[in-house]
Amino acid sequence: MLYQPQILEEALTLKADLGGDVDALAGGTDLLVALSRGQWRPKNVLDLSRVVERSEIRKADSRFSLAHGVTHAQLTRLPVRALAEAALSIGGPQIRNRGTLAGNLGTASPAGDGCVALLALHAEMELTRAGRGSRRLPVRDFFLDYRRTELRPEELITRVVVPADWTSAWHKIGKRGSVNISVVCAAVARSPQGRFGVAFGSVGPYPLTAPKTEALLNAAALTPELIDEAAAMAQTEVSPISDHRASAAYRRAMCGTLLRRLLTEHFLNGRD
Amino acid sequence: MPENVSEHGGAASPADDSIWHWRCKVNGQIIERDLPASTTLLHALRDHCSLTGTKGACEEGECGSCTVLLDGAPVNSCLVLAAQTQDCQVTTIEAMASGRKLHILQDKFLAAGAAQCGYCTPGLIMAAAALLKQHPDPTPDEFLQGMEGNICRCTGYKAISEAIRQAAQEWPTPPEVP
Amino acid sequence: MATTPAPPPVTDKPLIEPSPTPYADPPPSPVGASARRLDGLEKVTGEALYAADFFPREADLFATILRSHEAHAEVLSIDTAPAMKVAGVVGVYTHVDVPGTNRQGLIKRDHPVLVEDRVRYKGDALAVVVATSESAAHAGRDAIRVRYRPLPVVGSIDDALAPKAPKLFPNGNVMGGKRIRKGDADRALAEADVVVSETFQTQTVDHAFLDVEAGIARWDGRTLVIHASGQWVHEERRLIALALGLPIEQVRVIQPATGGAFGGREDLGMQVHVGLAALKHPGKTIALRYDRAESMRARHKRHALRIHYTLGARGDGTLTAAKVTVFSDEGAYASTGPAVIRKASSHATGPYRVPNVHVDVYGVYTNNNPTGAMRGFGACQLAVAYEGMIDRLARKLGMDRVELRRRNLVRSGDAVTTGQVIPLATGVECLDAVMDRFRNGGRPLEPLPPYRRRGWGVSTICFGLGYGDGFPDASRAGVRFTRDGFLEVLTGAVEYGQGLLNMVAQIAAAELGMPIEKARVIWADTGRTLESGSSSATRQTYFTGNAVKRAASELKEEILDIAGTHLHVHPHEIVLRDGLAVTRFGEPRSVPIAELVADGFNRGYELSVKALYKPATLCENFETGQSPRAFITYLFVSHLAQVVVDVETGQVTVERYIACHDVGKAINPQSVDGQITGGVAQGIGMALMEEVVMREGRMANANFTDYILPTFRDVPPVETIILENQDPGGPFGARGVGEPPLIAAVPAVLNAIHDALGVAPHTTPCNPQRVWELLHPEQAEPPADIRFRTAPPHARP
Repeated sequence: MLYQPQILEEALTLKADLGGDVDALAGGTDLLVALSRGQWRPKNVLDLSRVVERSEIRKADSRFSLAHGVTHAQLTRLPVRALAEAALSIGGPQIRNRGTLAGNLGTASPAGDGCVALLALHAEMELTRAGRGSRRLPVRDFFLDYRRTELRPEELITRVVVPADWTSAWHKIGKRGSVNISVVCAAVARSPQGRFGVAFGSVGPYPLTAPKTEALLNAAALTPELIDEAAAMAQTEVSPISDHRASAAYRRAMCGTLLRRLLTEHFLNGRD
Repeated sequence: MPENVSEHGGAASPADDSIWHWRCKVNGQIIERDLPASTTLLHALRDHCSLTGTKGACEEGECGSCTVLLDGAPVNSCLVLAAQTQDCQVTTIEAMASGRKLHILQDKFLAAGAAQCGYCTPGLIMAAAALLKQHPDPTPDEFLQGMEGNICRCTGYKAISEAIRQAAQEWPTPPEVP
Repeated sequence: MATTPAPPPVTDKPLIEPSPTPYADPPPSPVGASARRLDGLEKVTGEALYAADFFPREADLFATILRSHEAHAEVLSIDTAPAMKVAGVVGVYTHVDVPGTNRQGLIKRDHPVLVEDRVRYKGDALAVVVATSESAAHAGRDAIRVRYRPLPVVGSIDDALAPKAPKLFPNGNVMGGKRIRKGDADRALAEADVVVSETFQTQTVDHAFLDVEAGIARWDGRTLVIHASGQWVHEERRLIALALGLPIEQVRVIQPATGGAFGGREDLGMQVHVGLAALKHPGKTIALRYDRAESMRARHKRHALRIHYTLGARGDGTLTAAKVTVFSDEGAYASTGPAVIRKASSHATGPYRVPNVHVDVYGVYTNNNPTGAMRGFGACQLAVAYEGMIDRLARKLGMDRVELRRRNLVRSGDAVTTGQVIPLATGVECLDAVMDRFRNGGRPLEPLPPYRRRGWGVSTICFGLGYGDGFPDASRAGVRFTRDGFLEVLTGAVEYGQGLLNMVAQIAAAELGMPIEKARVIWADTGRTLESGSSSATRQTYFTGNAVKRAASELKEEILDIAGTHLHVHPHEIVLRDGLAVTRFGEPRSVPIAELVADGFNRGYELSVKALYKPATLCENFETGQSPRAFITYLFVSHLAQVVVDVETGQVTVERYIACHDVGKAINPQSVDGQITGGVAQGIGMALMEEVVMREGRMANANFTDYILPTFRDVPPVETIILENQDPGGPFGARGVGEPPLIAAVPAVLNAIHDALGVAPHTTPCNPQRVWELLHPEQAEPPADIRFRTAPPHARP
């Protein structure tokens, strides 16, 4: 059965009533791949692509509040560099027009480009269950294990809240010029108060943060030496595997390389 | 089962898909069809409307062969359920030419030799139409961002880029808004 | 498209009539003109019908194939009863239902249509299910119960050659070999001033044509008609008839519009399977299509080659000896394998004069994907090696890479590896042309950050076209006038995007002085056309081009004869041009050819000529691999790639690309340009990203998310230089273009990486990780692909 609610309340009620028996479908850029590969045989589908106000972006208190249906295409125009660049690195225009940030979070792929940017930005998200209201949690608390998250079967991801005044940057290594699954991707962000966020994709069972590296960066002024130290530290914080996309050794080394490059090019000497 | 014998198959047939009454404006005409709810827009167009100009190639959003315009925006029709296009407007390659008159992109593709095997061509023309509507005179970055979702396996892209650039030169400015 | 509702006009776009070709002054002759593609209009409008496009229009029943779950196993039982219980399933067929030989394969017919007792790769076909809908067919397929006794998986060449390796075929795991012995390579190497050695490993490549395999078939009790995309309809008919036990005249194969092939359609895909289903359901049109995953798991692939190469030279750079040992992973079934190892050996030293040559090439069976033809087979992998070796040698000698090439390239009258003398060798001319363009053109270079390095690489190759080595190789064509005034060319050759239709039409039109607009082509239908050989081996321009020219030439004589009676001059005094017969001497007088054609029909002439072109090549001496005429003619090509390498991440970007091809004569320059540019794109893909990853006999990346193809961002606009040193035997002097663009591209890119890094790549593709590992060998991990995990054995099997 396919449900196509027009208002969020209705979607939440359906999700709360059907729980694990219904799959939420946002842009479809992940679920339909699974459908095509025969890995997903839907019983009940909750199509969120018709919900009005799903694309709303609000700015308040130096934060952007993004509704669940905000697409990658919308994000490419958001003045939050890491998130915009992450969005631009996803697929081609056809994918960016459909895929959503909330969907990226829900899929919880280790390579989730948008998730990595959100982690670095210390973003927050809102999970809502009909009748019980919303709970807000840091994106950092959302991922539990490989494709396992805090999202309960009765809940939907309703909003993502991103700081608007952080400096941030993003880099991804793929095997070609565009439409890449990350071999490794990295995001770095810094609050106006100087607090750092560092995150990596495709180097663990889910998108990872690097808290020790962040602590190192938070503790002292940024210098080339500190950057080297952070790059070395970051490599100890990730847990990549070898698969058909790349070796663990390469991925680990690239975490250091990307972090060094991002910090040097965008943060050292007060750049950006 | 004895050791070193493996057994496969014997899967029970999956539960039947529920039926969805699909209503959509395709190339300006209202189309109504009863489809399995899990039918993609690509298969709805091809298998249920005989609009086979839209091609399937990877069926996971990597190649852009199945690009159509959904309410004016390019999407991979393999990654959209037909049901998700309920009461929307879908434009396919079949609507680009008007009788014997080719769309300017079709004409330039033909003149530049941009269609070789031709299989990626409909998707490319739809993506290019969306690109030029948004950026009538695209910068190199805008061009690549607009076209990077389409793969061509035989031309090496040069003639395609040339065709789109030539079309851009004759594209009306400012573009008409639908 | 009668079933398509007529679309209303869309308002947001300008509508214009087709404009003339962009070439301002088209040459007077159709040969050499960039005439629009004859199949272009239907392709840009979406009206061209590819195989899968027949489904909604024609299909009565749908078929699907059950593929092996195991890479290597004895099949104990196939229980089809559960499938027959699935609603909608009307038939399930296994090998016992196949009436013929149940075998396919182009040269070695070793591939079962439906497996009898042993599966050899994860993709072997076990059963065909027929149902009233595609989803019922799939459900039926999944319901079939198969019991196997798994056998050890032979996952690599090393596994296959191990002393206790399981025998994959009764004669063992070595499919065959090929050798070249010329002079005394061992002694010359011992005496050489400089010797360089390397082991190269090339990858398995998927053709990845976008138009996934599909077909429809119908048996009316007399003829089995199959519409499916191949590359050689007449051979397909022969193989289908044999496999299904039908007399050949009861099979008809018709090629629909085809979305790329690249060798990937030379072997049969689902033709016999859909034909079998049709035989079992007379009067019904059966439709069968793969999805991308099945296409990638089932189809044969480009051979992964391990090449041990040792090259010796004098101190002045003169090459003295090459010793080459090659192992080819044939996968589960060999098919064209013997041709591939022949091509590898005959192209082992490329376009260079090497007096002492010792080459051994072995094909080895494994449980990986079966292998077959792919654009440039054999020659392409060896070019990676010999061009890589030239650059290594240049570095060791401290010599300029271009100069070293110029010194050793064969000149007209020199012999290549096989001993064949090349009457017109233009490798130096091609090389000079790309270097001239490179040094005297191009935009100013952008400055790079310290972690990016720029480099350029050059490659020069030669390529023997046609099957060669005495293999029967011929083409037939028909040319005729029709009563409605058209010039019709009939050819069995296949158009899959390369521009064959224009090639034959332009040649016929040029010969008969007709405008290209008045030409049309009937092609690739065994019911209507004669056998023209395969559309492969870069052979159709030369072979079918010649056959068409011969037929057209004879037809011209008929028209000239009629013209003589109209113009009252001797036929020798008349030329045909622009649709007119014109007198050559005195005040020109003319008569429209259309009038002559009408008159000819009135006189009872057929105005239809068939011709055969069948040049001979000579089988090589099996001991020495020498043949005075291994190939009908050779092509020379030189490419230059300029790349930027990120030395920290290993990412490579191709910044500039120049390609010079001596094609003899460009029948349609735009098509030639398209073939070159497209081949370069595939070469960049092979050099940098494309790779089939096998794990225990299972393809780990059978989708376009992980089988990476070049995008718009990966291919710079290729600067093409077309040389036209006419071939004395080619139609209008033409040679061909097909495969060499890919062959030359791979080493050009690798050599550019070598130049940028100072370290030479030896394994393809050079994806970011491999490039990084070149710079950090201590951190190199064994590849994910188990085939390449063990050290290569240098010993002969």
